[in-house]
Amino acid sequence: MHGEYKMPGGKLVVIDLEVRDGRLADVQLSGDFFLEPDSTLATINRTLEGQPEHADEAALAVVVRDALAADVMMYGISPEAIAVAVHRALQQESAA
Amino acid sequence: MIRTNWRDHDWQLIHTAPQSPTLHMALDDVLTHEVGAGRRAPTLRIWEWASPAVVIGRFQSLRNEVDGEAARRHGIEVVRRVSGGGAMFIEPGNTITYSIYAPQTLVKGLSFQEAYAFLDAWVLEALAELGIKAWYQPLNDITSEGGKIAGAAQVHRGGAVLHHVTMAYDIDAAKMLEVLRIGREKLSDKGTQSAAKRVDPLRSQTGLPREAVIGRMVATFRRLHGLSDDSLRADELAQAATLAQTKFSSPAWIDDVT
Repeated sequence: MHGEYKMPGGKLVVIDLEVRDGRLADVQLSGDFFLEPDSTLATINRTLEGQPEHADEAALAVVVRDALAADVMMYGISPEAIAVAVHRALQQESAA
Repeated sequence: MIRTNWRDHDWQLIHTAPQSPTLHMALDDVLTHEVGAGRRAPTLRIWEWASPAVVIGRFQSLRNEVDGEAARRHGIEVVRRVSGGGAMFIEPGNTITYSIYAPQTLVKGLSFQEAYAFLDAWVLEALAELGIKAWYQPLNDITSEGGKIAGAAQVHRGGAVLHHVTMAYDIDAAKMLEVLRIGREKLSDKGTQSAAKRVDPLRSQTGLPREAVIGRMVATFRRLHGLSDDSLRADELAQAATLAQTKFSSPAWIDDVT
């Protein structure tokens, strides 16, 4: 399942994932955003793993934001944009 | 940490013979580290490409961004750089690429948006001297009335900032669109239908040879900020050659977004 979101004034945020037993699995964030330190990408993937498939966007954004260390720098990407991309990946599957 | 100015630093220029795409990736890694560690003075490096390449950003999905079959057919190597941002389609002679390796003090207190514009202000001036009215288009593009000219990316490491930029000098747009997958979503707020139309290269805008454009850019940097001619140290080159053959050639680095 694949979702893309071009954050207004930002960059492209892409999510690839599966759903297993009602939960997000094999979550992979990618895109042309800027994120430092680069290990934050793995932190975000890990944080989304196991979230309920029916979690709403606001809840997912909070979960991602809470997982970020104080020194994380985001440019062209945000917890909210990631949540939109997750939601789009899930919607695409239900529409198919 | 106090913010420094360009003239507080003893800027060095590196502009060597053409090098392989993986060696360029590795040199950015090594030279950023050297400047951060204080073993190298702040440096401007002009790249010369030995072979064609697609350079994808640190966080891009190879599968989503590149048509691997088309890249192989055209003999184009795919490499991944250390910074975020988007894919660049490179053919020798068609782009002007440079890196700035600076102490983080140079951009201390600036927002990301300000830091990008600040580190490329000399380029906008050089372009103006060539008769091109160009400006910074946040987040990370240099653009003109005719279209996009360049894309920039920054990464911060151990006291240094790497700022590197690829400018379109000439472009084989048809080949680029065969090799890069540029999705509709990405173009959604750009207001144009075609990725090719978004780029207006320097060759058509200046009518000058690529070397003359580079010469103007170097002269402008030298006048504004000071610049001494330098070369890569043997240990820097050896370290980069090792990294080029290991990390930057490995499927684990190139294929996976990790």
